[in-house]
Amino acid sequence: MVLRKSSKIFLSVIKALFLRELNTRISIGKSGLFWTFFEPFFQIFIFISIRVAIVSNGSNSVTTFDYAIFMASGFIAFNMFKNILSGATGAFAANKALFNYKQVKPIDTIFGRLLLEVFLSSIIVLLFLFIGFLFGYNVEPQNIVMVFFAYVWILVFSFSIGLIVAIGNIFFVSIGKFVGMFSFALLIFSAVFFPINNIPPAVQEILLYNPLVHFMEMIHGYYIYELDDRFVDYQYMLYWTITPLFIGTWLYIKLEKRIISQ
Amino acid sequence: MIELKNVTKYFRTNQGKRYILQNVSLTLPDGNIGILGRNGTGKSTLMRMLGRIDFPNEGKITSPNSFSWPLGLGGGFVGNMTGKANVKFVCGLYGKSYEETKEIITLVQDFAELGNYFEMPIKTYSSGMKGRLSFGLSLSFDFDYMLIDETLSVGDARFKVKAKEALLKKIENCHILLVSHDMNTLRELCQSGLLVHEGELEYYENIDDAIERYKEINKS
Repeated sequence: MVLRKSSKIFLSVIKALFLRELNTRISIGKSGLFWTFFEPFFQIFIFISIRVAIVSNGSNSVTTFDYAIFMASGFIAFNMFKNILSGATGAFAANKALFNYKQVKPIDTIFGRLLLEVFLSSIIVLLFLFIGFLFGYNVEPQNIVMVFFAYVWILVFSFSIGLIVAIGNIFFVSIGKFVGMFSFALLIFSAVFFPINNIPPAVQEILLYNPLVHFMEMIHGYYIYELDDRFVDYQYMLYWTITPLFIGTWLYIKLEKRIISQ
Repeated sequence: MIELKNVTKYFRTNQGKRYILQNVSLTLPDGNIGILGRNGTGKSTLMRMLGRIDFPNEGKITSPNSFSWPLGLGGGFVGNMTGKANVKFVCGLYGKSYEETKEIITLVQDFAELGNYFEMPIKTYSSGMKGRLSFGLSLSFDFDYMLIDETLSVGDARFKVKAKEALLKKIENCHILLVSHDMNTLRELCQSGLLVHEGELEYYENIDDAIERYKEINKS
């Protein structure tokens, strides 16, 4: 058997893992195909509907921008972050049997799940755009390039955090549990439901330590005409992306063999 | 050829480190090698390390050859995917083209004799059926070395005969690393033997010598 090039092996492994993750979800039952796409869609849809209903009925309903679009643009990105994180947490343990195939490296399983998440999120974005268009919302972003860039950035951010959590979870199971609880709390403190401008300055200062707030503000600022990115600290975001990426990669290179042997 | 250089392997337990190999250096010439040793001495771990799906704590194992996954291994199958989809997945891992994949699917289907079950989820399979599927899958790929871990006894009596015939035919073109407690199987399939004993590794060019030594160890 001819030994193949490592880049080629990597690509075929990622492709196979992605198809397997997708197949695993689709084949859960008779309506597997439907729920694979619509479960995450409905989850987000319900959240957005509740939030929009509260805003339009509440006393502070003097919003100058469309809350539905505000919620959808940010929450899809947040959901992607949350799912990549939880997917990465269990990726090594769930795919342990696959390490019997020599060309499957643990990190490939994270890539496989990440790709699936990107794929599902893209479908959800398209569904929302379609529905928004159908019901006459103004779904056109202010700056589509920057919104796209923000989505890619949060993807890299999610991967680097996910990698560290995945490695940590192998050696200390409590980390995975902690992340599960934490990511739910993050939903409330990540400026997904409100623009940071609406918050008292004293609380603003604290919330801005959370890198996700910056990502959400960036997406909202570039999507919605009435909002801007005045609170976004791009340097802070960069630190939060590069540092975990560096630490995660370093830990991974150090510990790859131990993860396979576990 | 497989080369071991200052290889040390241990497991951490509550009672401290339990050594499987302690600073072993050895060169194994190509051939069908049987791995012997008492329960818990680390035969399977050794086989996995030689096939480079497990790694020593210190030292290096190198080889220019390609190795299979442990043959007959049912792990890695997804329960709610069909047998066919699982076969496709492994083909994908090895970067097989569409035609090659189709060919392998036919081969596995014919060999495993699962009938309609081939298109049904793995979770509906009996353990014997799973074993047959993975055995057929392993035989459909070409490697320099096949790793076999006491899994020659899958399926019913008729399938056992068929599996053995297929395996004998397969090893005309490749070598095997076989872990087994069955001396007859070892004699039949292997020329040389590797004995794991108290952190040491003993290589015997003739499998009979290895079996002889193994019996000696068992007596004491």
